[in-house]
Amino acid sequence: MELIKDINKKVLDWLDERYDARQWIRENLTEKWVHKHINWLYCFGGLSFLGFLIQIGTGIFLMMYYIPTPKDALASVQHIANNVPFGWLFQRLHSISANVVNLLVMFHMLRVLYHGAYKKPREFQWVSGVFLLLITMAMSFSGYLLPWTQLSYWGAIIGTEMPGATPFIGEWLLQLIRGGAQITGITLTRFYAIHVVVLPLTLIVFLGLHFWMIKKVGISGPM
Amino acid sequence: MEKSIEKNSSNSKRSFLKLLFLTVMGVSFGGVIYPIIRYLSPLSQQKEGEKVEILKDEVPIGKAKFLTYKGNPAVVIHTKAGFTALSAVCTHLGCIVKWLEDKGEFQCPCHAGRFDVTGKVLSGPPPNPLLQIAVVESGAKIVIG
Ligand code: HEM
Ligand code: FES
Repeated sequence: MELIKDINKKVLDWLDERYDARQWIRENLTEKWVHKHINWLYCFGGLSFLGFLIQIGTGIFLMMYYIPTPKDALASVQHIANNVPFGWLFQRLHSISANVVNLLVMFHMLRVLYHGAYKKPREFQWVSGVFLLLITMAMSFSGYLLPWTQLSYWGAIIGTEMPGATPFIGEWLLQLIRGGAQITGITLTRFYAIHVVVLPLTLIVFLGLHFWMIKKVGISGPM
Repeated sequence: MEKSIEKNSSNSKRSFLKLLFLTVMGVSFGGVIYPIIRYLSPLSQQKEGEKVEILKDEVPIGKAKFLTYKGNPAVVIHTKAGFTALSAVCTHLGCIVKWLEDKGEFQCPCHAGRFDVTGKVLSGPPPNPLLQIAVVESGAKIVIG
C-alpha cells in the first residue's frame, strides 16, 4: 500500500513539474465546479459517448475474426458466436449496444429539447448533434448488412430503395450506395469499409467539435 | 481511552472499505481482461498424436494435397510408388514449400530450396530433409500420423 502511494506520488510529482498535472486534475475532475441544477438527465450525452467507446472496442475484436465476403460473412459471424472463446460476449455486446446507443443519443437529444438547451449560443452544438445522430443511425444500418443474413439482405434492399426515391438523382444514388444495381458482394465490402472506417472517423470529428463547443460555451443554465 | 477506540474502529473500517474497493476493482478488471485474453488466444487445434484421415481419391497420382497435421502444414503426395506424407515446413527458415507437379519436386518460395518426393534436399539452403510423417493405407482411405 505504502509503496503504491509512493510510486503514485513520484509519478504525479514528475508530471506536475512539467505539465501541472495536479492542477489539471483539480480543475477538471476532483474540484470541477458543477452547476447545482445538473441532474441525471444530463448523463445521456456522456453515456452515448461511453456506448460509442464500447462499440469501438467490441468492433475491433469482431474485425479480427469477421470475413467480409458473401461466402464467409455469415459463417465467420457464427464462428465468432459459437466457437471463439467469449466470442458470443463481444458479438452480443456489439449488436445489443448498437441499439442502446441509438436510444441514448435520442434520449440525449430529447433532454436538450426539453431544456431548450439548443438556443443561443448553443445552436451549433445542436447542429453537430443532429449529424451525430445521423451518423449513429448510418452506423447501425451499415452494420446490419455485415452478417449477411436474410434480414440483413432484405433490410439493405429496403434501406437503399429509400434514397432511391430521391427525385432526379435517386437511381444514381441507389447504385452508388449498392455499388451496382443489386445487393452483392460489392455492397458488402462497401458497407464494411463505411462501417469500420468512414463513419467512425467522421463521428470522431463531429464528437471533437461537439465536445470542444461544450467546453468553450459551458453547460446550459437552469430552466 | 474512548478516543483511541474510536480512532481504531474508524481505521479498521477505512482499511476494510479500502480492501473491499480494491477487491471489487480487481474482480471487475479481471472480468474484463480474462474474456479479452481468451478471445484473442488462438483456438486449440488438433491434439498431440491425433491422426488425419483423407480419401485416396483426393490425391490422384502425381498430385499433392496440403493439410494441417498437429497444427502445422503437411503434404501428402501420390506417386507410382504409393503415398508419402511430409511436413510442408521448409527446414531452412520455415516457409511453406510448393509442389511442382511437372518436375515432381518441392520448391520453397522463400530462398529456392528444392526437395525431392521423399523430402531429401536437392539444392538450396535447407540443411535437413523435410520431416517424414507415417502413412497407412486402409481401404479407400489413408491415415496420416
Ligand atoms: C502524430 C504525431 C505527433 C503530433 C501530431 C505532434 C504534435 C505536436 C505539437 C502540435 C506540438 C506543439 C509544439 C510544436 O508544434 O512543436 C508538439 C510538441 C512536442 N512533441 Fe509532438 N507530435 C507528435 C509526435 C511526437 C513524437 C513521436 C514525439 C517524440 C517521441 C514528440 C515529441 C514532442 C515534444 C518533445 C514536443 C515539445 C517541443 C518543444 O516544446 O520544443 N511528438 N507535438
Ligand atoms: S525458408 Fe525455405 S529456402 Fe529459406
